[in-house]
Amino acid sequence: MRRLLWLSVVAAVAIAYPLLLSSPFQQRLGALVLLYAIAASAWNIVGGYAGQISVGHVVFFGCGAYAAMGAYAKFGLSPLFGIPGGIVLAAGLAAVIGVPTLRLSGHYFSMATIAVAETMRLIVTNTDYLGAAVGLSGPTVPRNIFDLSFLSSLPYYYLFLVILAITLLITWWMANSRMGFYLRAIKDSERAARSLGAPASRTKLYAFMLSAALTSVAGALYAMMFGFVDPESGLGILISVKILIMAALGGAGLLFGPLVGAAILVPLEEISNSWLGGKGAGLTFVVYGAIIVLIARFQPGGILSLFKRRAKPNVDKGAGHAP
Amino acid sequence: MLLEARGITKAFGSFKAVDDASVTLEQGDILGLIGPNGAGKSTFFNCLTGDLKTSSGRVLFEGRDITDFTPELRAELGLARTFQVPQTFEGMTVLENVMIGAFLRSSHRAEAETKARAVLERVGMSRLADSPARSLGTPGRKRLEIARALATEPKVLLLDEAMAGLNAHEVKRAIDLVRDIHRSGITLVIVEHIMEVIMSLASRVMVFHQGKEIARGSPLEVTSNPAVIAAYLGTRAAKAAAGHTPIELMGGPIT
Repeated sequence: MRRLLWLSVVAAVAIAYPLLLSSPFQQRLGALVLLYAIAASAWNIVGGYAGQISVGHVVFFGCGAYAAMGAYAKFGLSPLFGIPGGIVLAAGLAAVIGVPTLRLSGHYFSMATIAVAETMRLIVTNTDYLGAAVGLSGPTVPRNIFDLSFLSSLPYYYLFLVILAITLLITWWMANSRMGFYLRAIKDSERAARSLGAPASRTKLYAFMLSAALTSVAGALYAMMFGFVDPESGLGILISVKILIMAALGGAGLLFGPLVGAAILVPLEEISNSWLGGKGAGLTFVVYGAIIVLIARFQPGGILSLFKRRAKPNVDKGAGHAP
Repeated sequence: MLLEARGITKAFGSFKAVDDASVTLEQGDILGLIGPNGAGKSTFFNCLTGDLKTSSGRVLFEGRDITDFTPELRAELGLARTFQVPQTFEGMTVLENVMIGAFLRSSHRAEAETKARAVLERVGMSRLADSPARSLGTPGRKRLEIARALATEPKVLLLDEAMAGLNAHEVKRAIDLVRDIHRSGITLVIVEHIMEVIMSLASRVMVFHQGKEIARGSPLEVTSNPAVIAAYLGTRAAKAAAGHTPIELMGGPIT
């Protein structure tokens, strides 16, 4: 009941925000928060619930972004039509990457995903068909509403809000299904989970593919909003890191953790960028590094886990008593 | 024949942790695996559960060759195990831990929860159902291991030192639980250091020493076997100790 109340409050605030704070900067900020919340929530499925820390998720982000822009640049279609293509591409790529790398444990998986992401960025940078270093552009002047090219951030805001709601709904449904339980078990002890019949490799792979598919949608939306994609904005490793930190800061493995993280980090970054101008670019890395250290040191569960202390300490002496 | 191992060898490099061990398990058996530390019983155990790949030899379950089956496939066939060092799912409640086992036979959450609650009731832990599993001490964790395994509705349950680290009272309760499990028709394999547990539970015992099986038989036969006593105490001490009852020699009744 209380949960439902909180949920309606959050939903009401989210719907009212761009109407109450209606300057173009504030609306754009709101849209960006939601966009990153989508990406971070998608990452959360495999990084948070399954505990497989992918640092290469930008590859899937890039699949979506390039598919959306490619639909326009190569076929003259609305970028919207690129979304299904991006999803298929991302899920397929996740399967190809996942089968060998999900066997790796801990840091080795993370390192493998970084390698894949950087390789992909270099390949795309040198592929003329994909615009090489210049990238691909979307429609400069919208031909009709389906081009989703707006001057105001307001339509993007509500579009992103709907997609975020769908992403969270999928995550919630997954977390409460057998798959979600298995993922959490695998995160704690893969060996024990397997001994109880959880098909670890398959479950992790499905989670990776689902996460990749949703991340590609975020990438497509990003490219539509900015009207272009290049190797840096679509496949740069910093995007992976941003997504990961947002989820970790808010609370990895918690439904609303990534949203909270995005709501804190995106404004922070936008404000520091507008203060420092171009000089601040390098500083972003420093801030992210500092945040990683702080999370690891003081609140590994993320900010939301502070409110998740429902579990009262229960020192057990003797495994309970037989009835 | 429920479970059969034929000529299992497990080598790590040139070292054979298990050397040509065979065993058969009939429906209703309680087989005890004993031996000094490092004798190879845990390695053998892990070859049966699929946690380790055998170097040679076959494992059969209900006549079917499962040597190349993964642990999760074996669980599906009806082989469940516990771990010597409890592998508790720390981020979950006690109930959720058991639900992971229950999900094997029922894919729906509500159904798995009902089953898990019934298992917790059976092992006397329903009071702790909603506690975080990480708040459990060793006895609770050991019992939770058993509950999780039971929730998979196994035909054979393999217990790896399920009673290590328990005090006398807790061992008694654990023995009662194992008896209850056995009565419900589940066949058991137990690796155990505590001799009293083996003596009071096992219908047959297999003794390991340096990777090889050195004796098998009823608990009494095995503990009076000179080779077994020598393995535990060394040959000279075994001669000197002649005349004592076996159970005293092997650690004595636990106090």
